[in-house]
Amino acid sequence: MSHVLAIAGRELRSLLSTPVAYVLFAVYMVFAGYIFFLSLEFFLVQIQQVQMARLPPEQLVEIMSQFNLNDRVIGPSMGTFSFVFVLLVPLLTMRAFAEERANGTIELLLTSPLTAWEIVLGKYLGVLGLVGILVGLTALYPMLLMAYGDPELLQTAGGLLGLFLYGAALAALGCFVSSLTRSQTLAATVSVVAGLMLLLIDVVAELAGTGPGAELLRYLGIRAHFEQSLQGVITTPDLTYFAVVIIFFLTLTRTSVESLRWR
Amino acid sequence: MIRVRGVWKRYGDFVAVRDVSFEIGRGEVVAFLGPNGAGKTTTMRMLTGFLTPTEGSIAIAGHELAREAGLARRAIGYLPETPPLYPEMRVHEYVRYVARIKDVPRAELADKVDRALASCGLEDVRGRVIGRLSRGYRQRVGLAQAIVHEPEVLVLDEPTAGLDPMQMAQIRRLIRELAEVEGRTVILSTHILPEAEAICRRVLLISHGEIRVDGSLEDVVGQGTLEDVFLREAMPVSPEDESAQEHAEEGLA
Repeated sequence: MSHVLAIAGRELRSLLSTPVAYVLFAVYMVFAGYIFFLSLEFFLVQIQQVQMARLPPEQLVEIMSQFNLNDRVIGPSMGTFSFVFVLLVPLLTMRAFAEERANGTIELLLTSPLTAWEIVLGKYLGVLGLVGILVGLTALYPMLLMAYGDPELLQTAGGLLGLFLYGAALAALGCFVSSLTRSQTLAATVSVVAGLMLLLIDVVAELAGTGPGAELLRYLGIRAHFEQSLQGVITTPDLTYFAVVIIFFLTLTRTSVESLRWR
Repeated sequence: MIRVRGVWKRYGDFVAVRDVSFEIGRGEVVAFLGPNGAGKTTTMRMLTGFLTPTEGSIAIAGHELAREAGLARRAIGYLPETPPLYPEMRVHEYVRYVARIKDVPRAELADKVDRALASCGLEDVRGRVIGRLSRGYRQRVGLAQAIVHEPEVLVLDEPTAGLDPMQMAQIRRLIRELAEVEGRTVILSTHILPEAEAICRRVLLISHGEIRVDGSLEDVVGQGTLEDVFLREAMPVSPEDESAQEHAEEGLA
């Protein structure tokens, strides 16, 4: 455990000692702020329209009851953030192993009394720290809303946890891709494409219609599992899905790192 | 301290290291010589457990690398050809990090880091960012990293490459001290033959992946010079073989 923490701490400190991470955070905040602002404005326009329609009171109450901040503002904007994550997380994971291989520091790790699992988990935890920071920054927007409205706390927290799990799955994928090459650019590009595939696989499922094959594709797609959480519901099947994806890619990473010894 | 038995390393059809066997006892300082592309770096990488031999066995301080990897690797300090540095870290942070992953107990961390920095003459730059140091300093940080956990065996791949004559003398003195005073076992590769004669008591010469010479400096040199021996025993490496070897060595990292 001490090995894992040493590697994770170094990884995180290194990431935070270069401007790259801060630039990414800033770009993300600008983009997320814009999306969030648009969702909020759309929400307000809709409310105004309903009010101007002069509906009978009981109908008005019924319609207005569907208008809540969580479903209309927080949920949709976090759904959009998930697309940004597909582009952003690979930029955080691309250096994980590719840089160690290019610098020759992988030689230090592999000749130290560390197991391949310790190396992989340490690296992964370090990257996960950055994903945590991204999610923490995302939380600022719902918190702003609390000053002016009363969004459901639990539902919001569920959505943020979902976003974190989703980011964690992408990070595991990114670490694996990074372990395959010495080029960070290549690692980032391939990770983005692979992440998009994971995200859009359910579109293929829609085209495939019904049947066990389509069901499987639907299950493999990451979006459905993430969107559940925006309702504030994180079910055991969804948790299992994220755990399986993460363990799957970390196991591949371990194999890939261990295989360096055999070249 | 180091026992190598029947070690081979093949890359497809290319044989980088061919049936190499030798033993090195405690406190010995051995020069590992050979032309570029002869298999020096590949052999050192197998000694340190970075590469797994295709065939054969290696034991460090009595621990078989294949079976007790953790114990064997803990007994080794390794300075690769390119020092494995993180350019964004500070010198003392980096050496401390290496000490942690090499299992130095927490209570001894500060002390051992200070000692390694002092031995390598790095006190003045301990707070500097590694990426901004000169080549000579970076080489010394690499050496500090190799000795911080006080390993019984030191594997140094061209430890004085890129240093000026004064720094070279300092590093050589340090290596001699490590062996004579502290009883550590050292195997170092070098292209500077006078350096080998100055530091080492024993010579291993590898050519085309095979050990051609193994003996004490006096026996090997006899009446001539080390250079005579080198030129006689080291067969020229064909350009194809050299590039194959380099390709093999580059390919993995």
